Amino acid sequence: MVLSFFKKGESPLDRISHETVLMLGDARHSFDLASTALLAGADASAVSSDIRATDDRINAAEQRLRSELVVHIAVNGGDDIGVVMGYTLLLKKIERIGDQAKNILDLAEDGISLSGAPDIEEFLTRRQTISQMYVDAADILVSLDVDSARQFLDRSMEMNRECEQKIHDYMRSDEPGHWAVPRAVLHRYWKRIVANLAGIVTSAIEPIQSLDYTDNGSTDIVDD
Amino acid sequence: MFELHGRDGLASSEVPPSNSRAIPRWFRGILVLAIIYLFLVGVSSLESGIKVMGADTQERLFSSVSNPIVGLFIGVVGTVLVQSSSASTSLIVGLVASGALGLDQAVPMIMGANIGTTVTNTLVSLGHVRQSQEFRRALSAATVHDFFNLMAVTILLPFELLTGRISWLASRTAEILTGSGGSEWKSPIKAWVKHPVGWLKDGLKQASLEDTSLGISMVVIGIIVVVVSLIAVTKNMKALIAERLEASMNRVLGRGGGLVAMVIGMLITISVQSSSITTSILIPMAAAGVISLRNIYPVTLGANVGTTITALLAALAASGSDALTIALVHTWFNVLGIVVLYGIPFLRPLPIRCAELLAELAVRRRSLAVGWVVSVFVIIPLLVIAIFR
Repeated sequence: MVLSFFKKGESPLDRISHETVLMLGDARHSFDLASTALLAGADASAVSSDIRATDDRINAAEQRLRSELVVHIAVNGGDDIGVVMGYTLLLKKIERIGDQAKNILDLAEDGISLSGAPDIEEFLTRRQTISQMYVDAADILVSLDVDSARQFLDRSMEMNRECEQKIHDYMRSDEPGHWAVPRAVLHRYWKRIVANLAGIVTSAIEPIQSLDYTDNGSTDIVDD
Repeated sequence: MFELHGRDGLASSEVPPSNSRAIPRWFRGILVLAIIYLFLVGVSSLESGIKVMGADTQERLFSSVSNPIVGLFIGVVGTVLVQSSSASTSLIVGLVASGALGLDQAVPMIMGANIGTTVTNTLVSLGHVRQSQEFRRALSAATVHDFFNLMAVTILLPFELLTGRISWLASRTAEILTGSGGSEWKSPIKAWVKHPVGWLKDGLKQASLEDTSLGISMVVIGIIVVVVSLIAVTKNMKALIAERLEASMNRVLGRGGGLVAMVIGMLITISVQSSSITTSILIPMAAAGVISLRNIYPVTLGANVGTTITALLAALAASGSDALTIALVHTWFNVLGIVVLYGIPFLRPLPIRCAELLAELAVRRRSLAVGWVVSVFVIIPLLVIAIFR
């Protein structure tokens, strides 16, 4: 351990970036498991311990990386303050996404199952699209490609509009509550997840003072 | 990764790099070696200047430090003034090498330098005074260094005055390292710095300076060169090893304190040639609550040992084995301080408890913190010097 002082390793900020991507991978893992329980009829209790262990890992990583960001500022002074503040916001968003996967699991643990429902194909398609958005967000964090980020943000806005419309439709549906409410709640969670993923991507391309705000000063994440 | 747009929304390629990052690492490495050479020239210039002054002037300047208590507090005040024990101990090494200062006189000064160096991180901790919890953590993190060094001096100075065992240990170590038993030892580094010092002397002579005025000029130039070059070495080394420093601090956070933290504190300090850098970096981390006082403590002790490397380096440019001996006194004093205060279980928590108590009181009455700094590092030393000299 002491000898590692003499070895050249990954730069601390690169390491934090790498860990952030791993956290996002963990968050996707939780999302996929929770969705499987709700949409594919997997045993919720069987995936629960994995999701909660993954969430603990995400929370521990967030705390550890926060400490490392403090160390970075203590060692390097204020040069990287914008980067550090951006990471702080980003880590919190990933931690929230992890929590939102638990919210989906809570639905399954409450006995809700959409497996075999007539509209299941639509749910599975949307779930697959969101799961892929985790991967795309991670890729953008690594590549910092502004065009890809813009495309991602456009897709996320479109997805949120769709979710918003679905929630609106379920609220006004003539179907019974036990049919409409879980669907509306699930779309609400999806909307939150997509908004937070968009926030993560925005962190990579926007200056710190305008993160989470639109040009007119209102918050661009209405739902977290 | 957020550099992509920078603070003005510019792409990173459009943002001009800061000066500190623009210097290539290889060039900074060469620069550090050049500055260290300059530092050694400064130490040698100081030594030569004292020798030029003549015995009478030397006697007038240094007679007062024959009292060890006065010597101790001169060490404190001198180090507070230059904010660096590396600088003050290097100057003491130069004085010992010149013969103006005896080993017996220099030992308390070296110990005083150890106390004086702790003022820097204590001043840094005062920056957190507005937030009670942050201030409590920051001040206790800073003053654990103060209390440890005060306690080490309280125990080891009387021990040294009564037995002389620390200087004996240093002297034996110097003999082993140099392979000689007396002042005939000639440092190879001394020959490398001889010419620039000779050129400086000749230049000053051409400016019609002689004897005492020539000596004083060489001493003043030597002091300025030592202090400035140490600042420059520290700044450049910090930039060179910033990533390793950061990774090491993260390891301390991940693994906790103990001997590993102590060794890491020592390695960082050897690298940056300044215990103040190591201990001051810990203060914002402590204030933010990411590192505990118990984990800071061993890093601080490692920094105490690491900072002695500068005096050892200075001794390489000085004449005779006494210079090396006094540098080794600095090392042994800090090692023995750890053995006694950290090695004996019931003494180990004492500096921590004192630091916590002071921080607790200072949070209730903020002026106490300022009072601590002013009294311990300025008023008491100046009063003692005024009374006893």
